[in-house]
Amino acid sequence: MIEFKEVEKRYPNGFLALNQINLQIEQGEFVAIIGLSGAGKSTLLRCINKMHDITEGTLCVNEVDVQQLKGKGIRDLRRNIGMIFQSFNLVTRVSVLKNVLVSFVPNMPVWRKILGIFTQEEKRLALMALDQVGILDKAYVRVDQLSGGQQQRVALARTLAQNPQIILADEPVASLDPVTAKQVMEDFKRINQELNMTIIINIHHVDLALAYATRVIGVRSGEIVFDGQASEITEETLAFIYNNTNQERGETEHAMEATITEENSIA
Amino acid sequence: MQWKLLSPKKIVLPNGKEVLEKRSIQPILWLIILVLLFFSIRITGFSLEVLVNRIQEFFVILQQMIPPNWDYLSKLWQPLFDTIKMSLFGSVAGAIVALPIAILAATNITKNKGIAMVSKFILSLLRTMPTLIVALIATFIFGLGTMAGTVAIFLFTIAYVGKLLYEQIENANMEAYEAMHSMGLTTIQAFRYAILPQILPNYLSTSLFCFEGNVRYASILGYVGAGGIGLLLNESLGWRSYENVGMILLMLVCTVFLIETTSEYFRKKLM
Repeated sequence: MIEFKEVEKRYPNGFLALNQINLQIEQGEFVAIIGLSGAGKSTLLRCINKMHDITEGTLCVNEVDVQQLKGKGIRDLRRNIGMIFQSFNLVTRVSVLKNVLVSFVPNMPVWRKILGIFTQEEKRLALMALDQVGILDKAYVRVDQLSGGQQQRVALARTLAQNPQIILADEPVASLDPVTAKQVMEDFKRINQELNMTIIINIHHVDLALAYATRVIGVRSGEIVFDGQASEITEETLAFIYNNTNQERGETEHAMEATITEENSIA
Repeated sequence: MQWKLLSPKKIVLPNGKEVLEKRSIQPILWLIILVLLFFSIRITGFSLEVLVNRIQEFFVILQQMIPPNWDYLSKLWQPLFDTIKMSLFGSVAGAIVALPIAILAATNITKNKGIAMVSKFILSLLRTMPTLIVALIATFIFGLGTMAGTVAIFLFTIAYVGKLLYEQIENANMEAYEAMHSMGLTTIQAFRYAILPQILPNYLSTSLFCFEGNVRYASILGYVGAGGIGLLLNESLGWRSYENVGMILLMLVCTVFLIETTSEYFRKKLM
């Protein structure tokens, strides 16, 4: 279970990216977060696995206060949370299988970590993860030879090999064509239903969000302005979530800049 | 940059439209280059007269080198191998040590700006010191012989490979690195699995290229007593036994050519 209590996130430049977020997500939910670019969707998602720090309030993942974690604690938290990115974030120069095998690195003895040697069992688990997303035949192909949709599936397999309870997906289909985007969303849905993993997804395609997610959260200027079933969404609620005046547009641009600088400074 | 003096040229099209073409500043640049060239000739004391009058002396020496003294060959093998050993060991050790220093110097991996600054400073400091001087100092510390030469080459390799490597690390794609952080890997682990595969071919290629150069460097390190074939070169030049010098140079040319060709072959394979 993920629980936000009065969470606030203020960037060093003073911009308030998240304001008074109260949110509770149960294990096994499929949540889509919608809103304009820079509304705070990415920040909201990245706070959950502490890729970003919150500045006020408490954020608990499975009863653990994320804000108190340091070093090893953060890494253990992240082991349990998978993350999917818009640009796939794979090592393109190596094979698909090697990308998936990285999931096992934290649990390996030091000498194997350095040499990059994996056991037969680890390879079997990685291949099973690839099979789950239907690209088993590409296991020994270099990632840069694959299409965007296939690459996103490799990323998904990498996350599955980690066997997390929660998957955070930051615009996973934004750089895919409509057909491939649908297939990837199907994968998410299947994983959600079969493995009972919580899936939280940032998405620009409202129609996809409504078609696949069970719960939709609308974010506007760092605040949650809608939280309900996908079926409850109407044209008016959408207009409200996406409503922005010129003044707000200026603000969203600032937010985007803030997100970019923060991304550069993490890790 | 555009001077006010250089008014743009006007081109009129048949249909009456006008296009303003900016004047090229190329003639002015040529003028500046010529002036600088003139002053550099004056300052360096370059004289075409001396060059023309004395050039035949070069061919006199060259003639004395041919034919080379083949009997001298038997004495050359050991110092030649010393030279190669010196450069090989110095290059391998230097390239290995360069990796951790390059990681510390890369600002995208090392978040502590102080550590990165200090590492970069150490690298540029090492690069500034001429290898010959380092070898000379090393002979004071480790005594005459190949040890001093090895240390000099080791330090130069760290500086050279380290500098190029940290620039490659800083230019590496950080997306996979970010993803691995999000999977709970430590910085070192994420570097090993996300950045290293990207830079490895370049790293090996740079190290090989550095080794090539080091063989050439190593051959003159003997001049300051740091072992290798340079010692004999110095000696033979001192005795004006140019046929021996010819033999040494012939051996060096063959060795360097052989090593460069091999290294080039492998570097092409890596790319």
